[in-house]
Amino acid sequence: MPKVRLRRALVALLALIAIYGIAAEIGRGRLPDRIWMGSHYVENVQLLPTFGALAEEGTFLLESRILAESIVASSRRVLIGVLLGSLIGILLGLGTGWAMRFEHLADPWVTLFRFTPALALLPLYVAWFGYGETSKVLLIATGVAVVALLGAHQGVRGVPRAYLDAAASLGAGKRLVFRRIVLPLALPAILASLRIAIALAWVTIVVAELIDAKMPSLGYLLALSGAYPRVPQMLIALATLAALVLVFDFAVLLLHARATRWMKRTAS
Amino acid sequence: MTAPVLEAVDVSYTYPGPTPTKALDGLSLEVKDHEFVALLGPVGCGKTTLLRIFAGFFQPAAGTVRCGGSPIGAPGWQRGYVLQEEAIFPWMTVRENVEFGLLAKGLDAPARRTIGDEMLTLIGLSAFEAAYPKELSAGMSKMVEVARVFATDPSILLLDEPFGALDAQTRTRMQDALAGVWDRLRKTVLFVTHDAEEALYLADRIVVLSPRPGRVKAEFAVDIPRPRSMETRFSAGFLTLKRRIWETT
Amino acid sequence: MRAVAQRPLLWIVSLATLIAAYAVVASVLQRPDVIPPASDIVETFRALVAAPPPEGAAPMEGHEGHHHHHSSDQIETLQQERVTLPASLGISTLRVLFGLAVGLPLGILIGLWMGASRRADDYLHPIFVLVRSIPPLALITYIMLWLGHSEAHRLIPIVYAVATTAVIPTYHGVRDVAAKYEVAARSLGAHGSLLWSKVLLPAAGPAVLGGLRYSIALAWMTAVGAEMLMADDGMGNFLVGGGMWASRLQTRSDPAVIIVGILALAAAGWAMDAVARLATARLTRWVR
Repeated sequence: MPKVRLRRALVALLALIAIYGIAAEIGRGRLPDRIWMGSHYVENVQLLPTFGALAEEGTFLLESRILAESIVASSRRVLIGVLLGSLIGILLGLGTGWAMRFEHLADPWVTLFRFTPALALLPLYVAWFGYGETSKVLLIATGVAVVALLGAHQGVRGVPRAYLDAAASLGAGKRLVFRRIVLPLALPAILASLRIAIALAWVTIVVAELIDAKMPSLGYLLALSGAYPRVPQMLIALATLAALVLVFDFAVLLLHARATRWMKRTAS
Repeated sequence: MTAPVLEAVDVSYTYPGPTPTKALDGLSLEVKDHEFVALLGPVGCGKTTLLRIFAGFFQPAAGTVRCGGSPIGAPGWQRGYVLQEEAIFPWMTVRENVEFGLLAKGLDAPARRTIGDEMLTLIGLSAFEAAYPKELSAGMSKMVEVARVFATDPSILLLDEPFGALDAQTRTRMQDALAGVWDRLRKTVLFVTHDAEEALYLADRIVVLSPRPGRVKAEFAVDIPRPRSMETRFSAGFLTLKRRIWETT
Repeated sequence: MRAVAQRPLLWIVSLATLIAAYAVVASVLQRPDVIPPASDIVETFRALVAAPPPEGAAPMEGHEGHHHHHSSDQIETLQQERVTLPASLGISTLRVLFGLAVGLPLGILIGLWMGASRRADDYLHPIFVLVRSIPPLALITYIMLWLGHSEAHRLIPIVYAVATTAVIPTYHGVRDVAAKYEVAARSLGAHGSLLWSKVLLPAAGPAVLGGLRYSIALAWMTAVGAEMLMADDGMGNFLVGGGMWASRLQTRSDPAVIIVGILALAAAGWAMDAVARLATARLTRWVR
């Protein structure tokens, strides 16, 4: 990355941290510290905790291993859900993109799932599979599958005709064309849709874990910190969530870069 | 007399759509075995359409097309086709591109390798066999596409303005390369171009098409001896023919 | 033309198969509490479509002759709280529309700014990446501390979700697409508001509109989620069966109610998406 960009990025991030620090200091005396919790007041709440308070809370969470266990638990659910969902979604999407008949047959199902917010399925899955891992993982898988399906479908449909014609004129049969032409070209679109799917997965897991409160989980940590409330804990939980989303996103970005090594650099 | 290798009799074709365009109107054309025929005409005269009909991508709305006496079916390696647009597969190396048709034919790796070697040497790009298309110039990419089609050993080649997007000097080099390859292999070629000089340099016979809708306007036999070179381009016979074509179009 | 005629036919066949398969599974499993038969679903729909009469009379009226009387805790809770399907759907729709109305301009403006100015991009982009990684609904817990259980606290995550998803397509539309034409336009002497209104915005248009459908989907998702967590109206509340946050999902869920809710949500989502698709097609007729 060019030096100017890097420098500016660092300046921006440092400025953000500085602004927060200042706001926290200013807020210490001035912000209201009584919060109405629906049935009672709670005193002594720092709406903008100082860095000191955050550090203290952070140390506690790390030492008691609460944070680590929550991260592992939530990440595992997301990972399994994403893998399961993308497998199903990609296979179905490749199918609907490649075979017109299959697309028409699958269309009502896809449309139904596509316009149903994944969260709406949560109560249904809980009713069917009870509380616990299964319903959460399946919920994520459903949301991811829909996005991956659309991505794979677009990927297949987006293959430029020129390549298909050239392959046909070289005598390539359908199977060869699918394997050697369509798949490599659909891969970038599939990976791009996976980035969206991952963001969706994390949104879903947070709510699922907020509703079904059980430790260890990041969602429950968040809920708990909201119930007391312990603001430093909440902010740390939020920051951890953001970091995890970034890590997952970065992983897919790497895959995407590898899968598009051959792409031409467009003239700018 | 043997049947012409490619034959179009009274062919018409209209593109469907909000504004239907009649691309070809009663066009008749013959290409004989081992002949290099150039199809010359202005933009939009239906040259690409005719080529795609011969390749098997379209069915004529009226008239018949035949290949070796029988009707033309789906696209296949027997009528090798190089598109006007860039169609080299960018996610495969040069060698993988050249060997793709052989893969489709079901040849095993050693056989593919041998023919691949031959083709790469033929176009002089052996050094680039492991390169990706993004590392090649536009001219080299096109030659790879030509080699890719040659590799499957079709007896008929349909080339659609392959050198149209290149600059003048690269184009001249590519024309020489193609002429050299053809000299060795003597396939039947139907070559589309809008450049009269290119047509004269490469072909045995030039068919001139009228503007849209396309029909045959004139035909010229090119009796300039082969092999042709830079010198040929300035020879009297060449320039005379060029003038005659100019006057027709 | 046979292919064109095939399409609606196959669609209908597939839809019929979907319904038929469901009916078959329902009757085979014989577990109406898990997979409610179609009749239950219809009854539930009827029950929840209008508010029950003031006396709080029996939920099912005029269903004599049905051997199976469908009722459940969830239906009763909903009826007691006078929650109906149309009202819930309407409220959720309003929330979504609000989120779009505020979030889209916000996101588009930020995207335009970042796309047009290299400096703004260098400074803002890293911050944006951090901010958008926070799932919108996770924020709701923090916002609640500031704003309590208010409408604003439910709407802000929706606005946030819409805005963050609108930034990226806009950014790419300006940087990748419009930039090409900017040079040509400037050398023709265009600048300022003329440059923006006649060249840059139309050029970036298709990319921005492309992201619209996705923003709508996410807005619905966030709205339903926010309602599930912290509202006593709207579809989220409908699905989870009413009651305060602390006791969510304690009410035994009735799959029939949920299925009715899902169908309603899917219909609303589809309708909005269709409108967005039409608008996009209209406004981008010039695209090659």
